[in-house]
Amino acid sequence: MKALRRTLLAVGATVIIAGVVRLRGTGGTPPKRGGWRELPPDELA
Amino acid sequence: MAPRVAVVGPGAVGRRVAEHLAGSAEVVVVARRPGKWERSVNELALALPADVTVLTASEGARRSAMAAIDSGSHVVSPLDDPVEVAGLLALDARARAKGVTVAAGTAMAPGLSCVLALRLAEDFDRVEEVHVASFGTGGPACARRHHAALTGLSVDWVDGRWVRRPGGSGRELVWFPEPVGGADCYRVSAADSMLLQPRFPDCRRITSRMAATRRDRLTSWLPMMRQPHPEGLVGAVRVEVRGWVGSCATTRILGAARPPAVVAAAVSATTARWLLEGRITTAGAGGLASLVAAPGEFILDTGVPVASFEGAAV
Repeated sequence: MKALRRTLLAVGATVIIAGVVRLRGTGGTPPKRGGWRELPPDELA
Repeated sequence: MAPRVAVVGPGAVGRRVAEHLAGSAEVVVVARRPGKWERSVNELALALPADVTVLTASEGARRSAMAAIDSGSHVVSPLDDPVEVAGLLALDARARAKGVTVAAGTAMAPGLSCVLALRLAEDFDRVEEVHVASFGTGGPACARRHHAALTGLSVDWVDGRWVRRPGGSGRELVWFPEPVGGADCYRVSAADSMLLQPRFPDCRRITSRMAATRRDRLTSWLPMMRQPHPEGLVGAVRVEVRGWVGSCATTRILGAARPPAVVAAAVSATTARWLLEGRITTAGAGGLASLVAAPGEFILDTGVPVASFEGAAV
């Protein structure tokens, strides 16, 4: 029973830590200047 | 006599490809049954010989492609699964022997991403890096692929060799054209690098990423909890090329925001049309980056509006 409790505790802790590591943070900083401009056909061709 | 096009799979992409080509070719849509590729190939045999066969259904695509090649038909495939794409590229010798073209990965990414990279590369003296990012999914099959891609292995081209990293890693905030805007993107099992590398063999880095939410990443190792939506209505692709113009290090970015199934159908239909018109003449199997000689004209022919990111680098 004790071993089972320890195993469950270890698995639970691993899941929580893995979840936090996987989901935390953001990917970076958005651009501060600039933007998208649709290209006219003559610029694209 | 009007050229004949066989479209395998009347899904979100196949249906639209048929609509695109209906005015310029005799289009035969082959409905297939899941899990029965033999039947699919048999039904395709009824539609053959066709001048071009568009394979939009993933199951049995390689066998359908072999049947089409053997009948002397060009093959266009918007499938984006790297395994399917590799399977089609492996038919290169068979296609060359028959003098036909197998255009693999004619979707949004890969597909439009390849021609955008090619168009950007025209402005450079030397291309050092190509980075592709995509957002959104097309039909249900595409949504299932997106789900599986996060748990697969990402394969990027780095310093002259293929580097494998776990899907779902490498978070990067990518700024797509409106209405999508910013989205966190991750490494995934995708075919872009595989299709771009033959065209840019001297590039230092070729990478591909896909947008995903936290829930996508958390549940990616589980089966899909609910039926995917009939079609994703928002999608975008962004291609960044870094390199040299003269002695100046330069970064240029092109992107497009449209539903992925709409883009995939437009790119596949344009590829089919260019094959029928003899504007793609390379025999063998390859991606659009290897097959299209005039990327700007190709993009214009798809009718997908393309935007350039100007200003500060992301």
